[in-house]
Amino acid sequence: MIKVFKYTLIDLARNRAMLGYALLLLLVSEGLFQLEGDPMKAFLGLVQVVIALVPLIAMLFTIVYGYDVLEFTQLLAVQPIGRSAILGGQVLALSVSLLLAQGFGLGLPLLVHFPTRVALVLTVTGSALVLVFSALGTLIALSQREKARGVGIGLGVWFVFVLVYDALLMWLMFALSDRPIEPWVVPLAALDPIDLARIMVMLEVDLAAMMGYSGALYKEFFGSTGGMAVALGTLMLWIVVPIAFAFRTFRGKDL
Amino acid sequence: MDRIAFTGVGKRYGPTWALRHVDAVFRAGEVVMVIGPNGSGKTTLIKCLLGLVHPTEGAITLDGKIIGGDPSYRTVIGYMPQISQFPAALTIGQLFHMMQDIRGLGPAEVDDTLIKELGLDTQLNKRLSALSGGTEQKVSAVLAFRSRPSILVMDEPTAGLDPLAARTVLRHADRVRNEGGTVLVTSHLMEEVEALADRVAYIQDGSLRFLLPMKEIFQATGEDRLSRAIPVLLSKTVPV
Repeated sequence: MIKVFKYTLIDLARNRAMLGYALLLLLVSEGLFQLEGDPMKAFLGLVQVVIALVPLIAMLFTIVYGYDVLEFTQLLAVQPIGRSAILGGQVLALSVSLLLAQGFGLGLPLLVHFPTRVALVLTVTGSALVLVFSALGTLIALSQREKARGVGIGLGVWFVFVLVYDALLMWLMFALSDRPIEPWVVPLAALDPIDLARIMVMLEVDLAAMMGYSGALYKEFFGSTGGMAVALGTLMLWIVVPIAFAFRTFRGKDL
Repeated sequence: MDRIAFTGVGKRYGPTWALRHVDAVFRAGEVVMVIGPNGSGKTTLIKCLLGLVHPTEGAITLDGKIIGGDPSYRTVIGYMPQISQFPAALTIGQLFHMMQDIRGLGPAEVDDTLIKELGLDTQLNKRLSALSGGTEQKVSAVLAFRSRPSILVMDEPTAGLDPLAARTVLRHADRVRNEGGTVLVTSHLMEEVEALADRVAYIQDGSLRFLLPMKEIFQATGEDRLSRAIPVLLSKTVPV
């Protein structure tokens, strides 16, 4: 696995799309900090980038890369190494390069312009989102034979998590506001990793009040250390479960 | 000596059987040419041996052991695929080093003669993304032979290669056979491979119609070229 990881990482380190992504993030981050006089405002802009753009890029890059290296993956699969070692090496290399790109484009400007606890929370949740959506992308690329279909499903999944699910949840909460739905709100929010990340960051900047009724509920639950740990644990599940399914799919897959 | 044995091997994709109940034995020291129309199941057959495709039924043994979860059996196999694609940002030299590293081979354990004979020794620093289709096939051929395999599987090996390079690759396949190896070659261009083949396996609609020595094919049909002998033989054999 380490050998596949090493060479995949060398390949990804010279990948123009990956380098472009790192530079784009750096440009956006620096741009926001330079244009906004108040670093807090720039930070809130960056939160939107992390919530919307980072999952999309992580997912699409993983899916497209998965299809692009399919023939080479076949060549690896006829070597005397197991399938788990191949996928493990590739997944690890993809995750490390996406995290490095994010560290360079987002982490570095945050460290320079806004070295706060909340910036650290954004970096951690952003990294978790990268891993979640890269894991989902891996599973999608392995489950679908056609690249166009894989990319389409990836876009659909991202759109659901970034917008549709959140809107549905809000609608549900308002529609059923006269009923005892509190116990359901937090578990339902946890079903969307983007929602979960958004809540974690927003609570940290004490903007939960802006989130209205749901904000109060989230604050009550996630505001505690235990609640935060549950949120992080749930994000971990969002990484582990798709990856476990991806390994299972790859082991039985006809290449 | 029998090396590879297919016993009742079948592969189904959804409702379609790509391979049906294939029984075949491939021996040490022979070249078997696997032929058949497009989509007949040739590639599926060799992919089952390579572990790329999981058979729906039946079993494949290599030196008496059923191939399955343990990937170590592939140590003796060299594979040249029909289509090659390599990590774009690596160089030819890095790719050779990577595959050597993955197989855990030392410098003395690899055979680099084909690198020079195919003219790749001067292109080792070239990016894989900048290669022509023909050069990609040459790289693929080197990877197949470099680990000194005793079982060589080549899927349309001459496709995309210039005649000189194709002859060089087939000469090396001949050498593997002469050293006691087993060579399986699929090819549409029968003339190129028939001079090399000891036996011919003909696959149609996923079924192995026959697996016969070249001599027997020519004797039974009275023809001296495979392209003319096959239709005659097919008209004589009972459809499966």
